[in-house]
Amino acid sequence: MAFIKIENLFKKFGTMVAVNHIDLEVIQGEILTLLGPSGCGKTTTLRCIAGLERPDEGDVLIDGKPMFSKGFVPPSQREIGMVFQNYAVWPHLRVFDNVAYGLKLQRLPKEEIKRRVNEVLESVGLSGLGKRYPGQLSGGQQQRVALARALVRNPKVLLLDEPLSNLDAKLRERMRFEIKSLVRRMNMTSVYVTHDQAEAMVISDRIAVMESGNIVQVGAPEEIYKKPANRFVADFIGTTNFIPGEIAEIRENQIYVTTEFGQKILCKVFDSATAVPDQKVHVSIRPEDIEVYAEPSGSRDNVFKGTIMHRAYLGNFLNFFVNVDHTMIRVQVPYHLRQKEGEELYLYLNPEKCIALP
Amino acid sequence: MARVVMENVSKFFGTVQAVKDFNLTVEDKEFAILVGPSGCGKSTALRMIAGLEEPTTGTISIGDRLVNDLPPKDRDIAMVFQEYALYPHMSVYKNMAFGLKLRKFPKQEIDQRVREAAEILGIQDFLDRKPKQLSGGQRQRVAVGRAIVRKPAVFLFDEPLSNLDAKLRVQMRAELSKLHDRLQTTMIYVTHDQVEAMTMGTKIVVMKDGVIQQVGPPLEVYNYPVNLFVAGFIGSPVMNFVPCRILSQEGRLLIDAGSFQLLIPEKRIPSYHPLVHSEAIFGIRPKDIYDRAFAPEHLKENSVRSVIDVIEPLGSEIHLNVTAGQHNLVAVVDVQTTYRVHQEIEIVFDLDRMHLFEKDPPNLRIKAEG
Amino acid sequence: MSRGNLLISAILWSVVALFVIYPLSFLMIESFKIAGTDRYGLQNYIDFFKDPYYLKTFGNTLLLGVLVLATTTLVGLPLAYILARYRLKGKVLFTALILLPIVLPAYAGAFALIVLFGKMGTINLLLMDWGLISKPINFVFGLHGLVFIQALHLLPFIVLSISAGFTNIDPSLEEAAEVEGASGWKRFLTVTLPLTSPNYLAGAVIVFLWPFTDWLTPLIFGQQDYLPSIAYINIAYHFTDMHRKYMGIVSVVISSLICVGIFLASKTWVEKKKYTALSKGTTLEGRIIETGLFTKVWAYAYMLFIAVFVLLIPIVLGLSAFSRRWVLQPFPSYWTLDNFRLIFLETPILLKNSFVFSAVALLFGVTFGLPAAYLITRTKVPGKDTLDFVITLMLAFPGIAVGVSYLLAFWEGIPLATHWIIMPLSLFIRRLPYFLRMAHASYLQLDVSLEEASEVSGAGKFKTFINISLPLLLKGVFVGLVMFFIMAFQEISTAIFLYRGGWETLPIGIYLNWHRGMEFGIAGAMAFLMIVIIFVLLLIVARIGGGILGAAWGSSGGKY
Repeated sequence: MAFIKIENLFKKFGTMVAVNHIDLEVIQGEILTLLGPSGCGKTTTLRCIAGLERPDEGDVLIDGKPMFSKGFVPPSQREIGMVFQNYAVWPHLRVFDNVAYGLKLQRLPKEEIKRRVNEVLESVGLSGLGKRYPGQLSGGQQQRVALARALVRNPKVLLLDEPLSNLDAKLRERMRFEIKSLVRRMNMTSVYVTHDQAEAMVISDRIAVMESGNIVQVGAPEEIYKKPANRFVADFIGTTNFIPGEIAEIRENQIYVTTEFGQKILCKVFDSATAVPDQKVHVSIRPEDIEVYAEPSGSRDNVFKGTIMHRAYLGNFLNFFVNVDHTMIRVQVPYHLRQKEGEELYLYLNPEKCIALP
Repeated sequence: MARVVMENVSKFFGTVQAVKDFNLTVEDKEFAILVGPSGCGKSTALRMIAGLEEPTTGTISIGDRLVNDLPPKDRDIAMVFQEYALYPHMSVYKNMAFGLKLRKFPKQEIDQRVREAAEILGIQDFLDRKPKQLSGGQRQRVAVGRAIVRKPAVFLFDEPLSNLDAKLRVQMRAELSKLHDRLQTTMIYVTHDQVEAMTMGTKIVVMKDGVIQQVGPPLEVYNYPVNLFVAGFIGSPVMNFVPCRILSQEGRLLIDAGSFQLLIPEKRIPSYHPLVHSEAIFGIRPKDIYDRAFAPEHLKENSVRSVIDVIEPLGSEIHLNVTAGQHNLVAVVDVQTTYRVHQEIEIVFDLDRMHLFEKDPPNLRIKAEG
Repeated sequence: MSRGNLLISAILWSVVALFVIYPLSFLMIESFKIAGTDRYGLQNYIDFFKDPYYLKTFGNTLLLGVLVLATTTLVGLPLAYILARYRLKGKVLFTALILLPIVLPAYAGAFALIVLFGKMGTINLLLMDWGLISKPINFVFGLHGLVFIQALHLLPFIVLSISAGFTNIDPSLEEAAEVEGASGWKRFLTVTLPLTSPNYLAGAVIVFLWPFTDWLTPLIFGQQDYLPSIAYINIAYHFTDMHRKYMGIVSVVISSLICVGIFLASKTWVEKKKYTALSKGTTLEGRIIETGLFTKVWAYAYMLFIAVFVLLIPIVLGLSAFSRRWVLQPFPSYWTLDNFRLIFLETPILLKNSFVFSAVALLFGVTFGLPAAYLITRTKVPGKDTLDFVITLMLAFPGIAVGVSYLLAFWEGIPLATHWIIMPLSLFIRRLPYFLRMAHASYLQLDVSLEEASEVSGAGKFKTFINISLPLLLKGVFVGLVMFFIMAFQEISTAIFLYRGGWETLPIGIYLNWHRGMEFGIAGAMAFLMIVIIFVLLLIVARIGGGILGAAWGSSGGKY
């Protein structure tokens, strides 16, 4: 069931269109991520959900209630929790008072406030630090205060605006894990904004990829990774190889693409509605979807001979940059492969993983 | 030809010692990366090479010259700053030409060098713009361009990518590597991001609390971290650490982690034998833990039952957070894995790639054959 | 658009319309009135520009502005550099001392200078006693005296703005220049100075325009051939001579137009050149240089040199405050508390008026300034930029223009000028931008997301303001309040036109005592008393605002 519904949302600043008539639904209990490069409109969308920004057109419905069209509902009435990029922890209040702020506004009994604040402080790993001022905490701890403050009132919706971007790399990895398990445990409908695709992949149930004010694709992380809607998405999410070419032949569920160098690639992922012969396309294939052989194995489609130009350690795998007919193809291989730079090998581009994108 | 040598360098800010007894040689044409958590003294070390800070003790030389008493301008260096430090009142062209003008290069040569650098970096269309009209990535390129035109003996970089988007960062990383290949100049680069260090450097210098922990080529540091700190800092996800006891049984050695036991490979027995009955910390990288279904046959003797807590699919790889007994472990597994959360999974350890660390600080790694 | 914001906007606008736009347009229209008729035309302006006397006056004023600006820049630039960049012991104390003139009324300094350097002043008498000269030297009466005293008074504006510029430069910009090969002077000239230029301009405009607004100092030095001075004389003493009265009004309007014009031009230029936004995360104190011994000695000597001049003012005033008959002798010989007895016992009304008027003005200021700052920084109410603009323009309007226009506008029609409330009202309007600017600056330093976080937590706009914004703004706003009070306390140029018997304030008392040729001691004592009061207030600010430097400039350290 759609818990948050964004309808035809449009917002511009001066002449710059920030959000261009988008529609989006967030299902109850899921974590949805708005992902895109800076300036794509993701933060503006989030701020419209929060009521910190008023759209020029369109509406946002939370739990079926319109937030703009039937009179503006101010942020304070929306029952949302929000974590800001720069934490926005109030410097003049102690940690406890920062977290208790919203509860005090609801005039809850002192005992209950105390119990709930301590509970949430414990769940974010800050028990015992309630008496400190934010200035006495590290960046990671301040971030936890911000998270605790957002969660303590059991809001209907949790909004997170690039919450990890000010932390250093190691801490970021740990916090994304903690945020996810915490939000899961509380079963909270969340909208998360980030420009970091790895963060988005890990933390979300679904991702909405944005580019220049438009939503270009919505789907589960895996779906977006495996079936990107266009070249922008394929390139922005993860790493991929683009091989330019033209459609040579269209069959029922597969097409052949001729590359600039005359090779034919068989693709099984393509948009059958728009594909026409001679159309210019790019074949996208991920480095980890390419298999490597020392010998040409039988007469299969999509086997190409190449030379290793460069060997690089990248993360948990080894990467070969292979020259196939002057096209550089990146391949992710297990750590223990011994092939050296300059050696020849055969690449198998699995047709199921070859995506033809216009 | 510039080799940078720092000998016994230390730096105090008031009573705080930011850099302690620093000894480092960066060879000519090397791409050296100083890496460590914030506050580890890496930036201070770089700024001393630049001449922006004065070392409290010790000597610094660039090429054959002792540079302790030379001002930055006479050190034949160029530096790229975290905040870019572009002069806002000058156009891109003037920003890049500034250093050459100061050195009274002929106009024609300045023009040629600026255009050449602009072309390398793909900013030839922006030369007339002011910095504020550029995007973050473009500003970064201008900052690099300003460094290139001078053809200095040494390039210094102070966290130049940390203000960029994740995607742009990856792209700039590759570009800087290429630039190093092309220019063949000594580069010293400071970052807190170990991925940058691993992917760009020819030599990395891991620092903590002002002290060098380890110096070496990336893979050496990755495969043979000297202590627990380096092992934990380099590599992503973080290496798994399990407190354990070493046992001896029927001629073999065992790692006893309480809830499970693992068999140490025979070739490591001589190295680890002195540790029998004592406590240690067992370390294994997430990528060396396999889903039993996809593991090489010879590893399967060391399998352990565990339950999946969290699955982090990253597209090109999947991270599993599992609980084995009382221990939480992270494994990087193949993208083909089809497990779900809370399912039981049998994991196997590639103990040829295991590490053992002393239980007490400084938690040195116990060297092993093979 | 929320209804509350619109209501606030409407109220603020009506205040501005009634007390700013109405009287100032009244003044404008009046200047076109043809004397003795009901007709309007350009006649007054034609007369003004045809009369060689008024043209000369105009030229004098311009020349004074240029000379004062040149002097302050030459003296102030090194001082600003020392204060902003060198790590020196006692810098805070020196800073406070050197910046003292900014809070002292210019006329108090002028009095002190006459006592010391006048024809029969201490220096001349001493020199004659020692037989070094036979006739007194004219140290101060004339252009050179005016340049000297105004430069001394205005030096802090230049020093503060340049040193703020030096401090705000991201250190890495200069470091980059050094690495690239520009050290010392080269770096200073190619990077540091250009980056400081917007700040310098902001200060320079204040300095340059000062002679167009200060009518009193020239009169004290016996000069009346300056635009504001002649305007004052014409309007205050020759209001029955219609021609002179209208020439006075035209002088006021021309001064105002020049002030507003130059102010706007510089503002546009600064906006265009704004550099700071580019690099984020500058350190709080900017780049600091550790100095060698030689530089240190030089720096101290320079600071001391300026501090001596500054200190002369309170010392001379102090001496005269506790003495009588300091005439024709180098130093006073008869010591007494009589001056203070007169002030406290015989005319306590002066002191009382000063406090009451300033306090009421302050109350107006807060009631107007806080909502205005909120409206301008935090809402999108239409017309709020125009409101900001109009209020900011008041920075440029000479006090004499406010005074004259109030006198004209609130005499008939809206007869406010017959009620004492006109006094605090004019003080409030005259200093309107001061408080607003400071509240505004504090607001800008307050990260919006701190307030947004509160709204998201369930607090409405008002509760957010009370719980979050106000406590965080308080420090900055409080500093602003005290500075506003100090400014109102020493205000004379507006008040002099509006006061009636029984409404005299301390500054007016000083002026009258001097003007009526009564003994200097009482005026000196009043000025000294004022300095003491201001100093105590400043101490309070320094305690809270963190350094008089910040206090005087109105931006109180602590950034959230």
